Amino acid sequence: MARSNNVRGPTSALTEFLKESGITPTTIARRVRTRQVEQPAPVAGPSRQAENDESAEADVAENDEPVEREYNSDNLDEDDEVPLKKKRKLTKAAEAKLKAQAKAKAKKGKKKDDDDYSDDGSDEEDAYTALSKMWKDETKPPNGSLIECSKCGNEFSVTQYTRQAPNGGWLCHSCLKASGVDPFKKPAAPRKRKPLTEKRNVTHFEEHRLPSLANMCIKVVSSHIDDVEALGDIGSMNLDSIAKAIAKDRSLTPENATLFYDVQNTNLTLYDATNLTPPSLCALASLNPNLTTLRLDFCGRMDNSVLAAWNKSLPALTRIELLGPFLVHASTWQSFFESHPKLTGFLITQSPRFDVKCIESLVENCEGLTELRLKEVGKLADDFLPHIKKLAGQLTYLDLSSPGEPEAVSNDALTDLLTAVGAGLRHLDLSGHALLGDGFLFQGLKPHTRQLESLALALTPELTDAGVAEFFATWAGAAAPPNPPLRHAALGRNPELGGAALAALLAHSGAALESVDVNGWKAAPEDVLNTLGARAPRLRRVDVGWCREASDWTVKALVEGCPDLVEVKVWGCQRVTANCPRKRGVAVVGIEAQNFV
Amino acid sequence: MADDLAMTNGKNPEDWIRLISTDGYSYLVKRKVAVMSGTLRNMLNNDFAEAASNTCPINERGIIVEKLCEYLQYKYTYENAAPRQDGPDFTDRIPPEIALELLVAADYYET
Repeated sequence: MARSNNVRGPTSALTEFLKESGITPTTIARRVRTRQVEQPAPVAGPSRQAENDESAEADVAENDEPVEREYNSDNLDEDDEVPLKKKRKLTKAAEAKLKAQAKAKAKKGKKKDDDDYSDDGSDEEDAYTALSKMWKDETKPPNGSLIECSKCGNEFSVTQYTRQAPNGGWLCHSCLKASGVDPFKKPAAPRKRKPLTEKRNVTHFEEHRLPSLANMCIKVVSSHIDDVEALGDIGSMNLDSIAKAIAKDRSLTPENATLFYDVQNTNLTLYDATNLTPPSLCALASLNPNLTTLRLDFCGRMDNSVLAAWNKSLPALTRIELLGPFLVHASTWQSFFESHPKLTGFLITQSPRFDVKCIESLVENCEGLTELRLKEVGKLADDFLPHIKKLAGQLTYLDLSSPGEPEAVSNDALTDLLTAVGAGLRHLDLSGHALLGDGFLFQGLKPHTRQLESLALALTPELTDAGVAEFFATWAGAAAPPNPPLRHAALGRNPELGGAALAALLAHSGAALESVDVNGWKAAPEDVLNTLGARAPRLRRVDVGWCREASDWTVKALVEGCPDLVEVKVWGCQRVTANCPRKRGVAVVGIEAQNFV
Repeated sequence: MADDLAMTNGKNPEDWIRLISTDGYSYLVKRKVAVMSGTLRNMLNNDFAEAASNTCPINERGIIVEKLCEYLQYKYTYENAAPRQDGPDFTDRIPPEIALELLVAADYYET
């Protein structure tokens, strides 16, 4: 323990933390001293009062600074008077811990180098609050004592500027200066730990990247946004591709969003509205008063105030599509429906607050509703469905996929719903309903659909291979004008399904299929997969990911058999190699064996 | 140089690549400069006709292609420069008249 130089060993995380927070033995000692002198009377009453007031206030106003609240909650049982704005304070528990540590250290130190402490006066000190000995340089003789210089041998008196020699002795002033050390130099400030973010900087990425050309263009556009002349004739260009390019960099801001605004606009699509704040979303509505169709992706910052403003400023709106309106409350949705009775399309994804009252209000107010998407809605449950049933006959698009609770909606309720609305549906998405089983196919889909073109039943583990196969085999004969073949079939992530289901699907819908997703049909045999190309010549997009039997021959059949093919996904198909056939315009995505460059 | 070779898939980084605009202007840039664009890199590093002829048709007007080449050269020059040795600000060289068109092109060519 005796130190011959100034090197300090590692300290515990707690010690580091306390030091960072400005809590050192000196401050503790000062506090102990003041405590011994006078014990301030507890003034808990008023200070607690103030804290309570503040926390109550914080509950009301959500935008209050969280930092302050955190501070208060730390301090609830503080009973000595502290100014509220003090930087940081220890809780009682932490203080006790610290003291215990100090005590332990003091004890340890004492045991080990007893004789070093003839003068430290620890006897008078309360052992419990005694300072840790590690903070002082214990080997140094007290100031004023006469010792011999370890270099020149002269006797000199120790001062606070006396420094240690490398060999462990002490140097007199002149020797110290001669050795090149400035005795009056203040000791270097204790090294502060770097913030964690800096420490975790991953250096595998290029640190010094040039801004991309797209980024710079957006900057130029943003800075000239008010100068109509400078930007040239925007009308002649494809605004949609500009919107996509801007969205890709997440650089749509309140400033440059006005590029897409126009009083005459009836149609507006913004692909990434993350940076649009509530006021700018309100401005969007007032600058495009004639909108009939509005689509906003990633509109997470939209809140009640926005929808309330839209109630007044978008009178013509008929179709709205929102991705991620998390913050909108149920009551605001209801007032929105009341002020937009002309809505025919209401499509939202991800809303944890949309509840049964909202769907009730929607159905009541918007009598012409034909498109409904409640995707990834947290509260979706059986009691939503009776309200949706009232839209029978008019609903053409229904998407209730990925409910917050996969088992919230029962097979019977879904079957019942289809009985009512099935006849008019063109698009149906009930992916992610864990209770949906074969019974739904036979009692819901088969007898009641007349014009379904697009069916999505992904992640529905109750479906069986034999059931799906039988359903497709007998669907055409189920009704007088039979349901036409499907154009889009998304039945992915159903590992139970296999060859029989796929063969039956192709026999029923093959001629019309434009996109098919059989992702995860791991047992589908190769010979059936290889018929995809021949039996479904109109295919554009195919996902055969995780169909373990898919091979280069599957891809070959698709590439040769489908002239309109655009994309084939083969993620997880280990038998598809880099040598699989390609064609211009066809993207084969996810080849595992491929060397990525 | 080793970096250049890796980027050009082993082909000579000093080759000239011809970029042709829709209105018939041709621009010659070195291969090592052209591959600064992700899209052009894919074109030139695979077995496409563009790779065989070292010629890439660019579906933009001449003035856009010119600015694109200018940026690729700028990127090649300054991307590997020592940190803190910032090059000139390219933003000043983009005329606002073509900013939107250039934005769409830049997006497509992954620059």
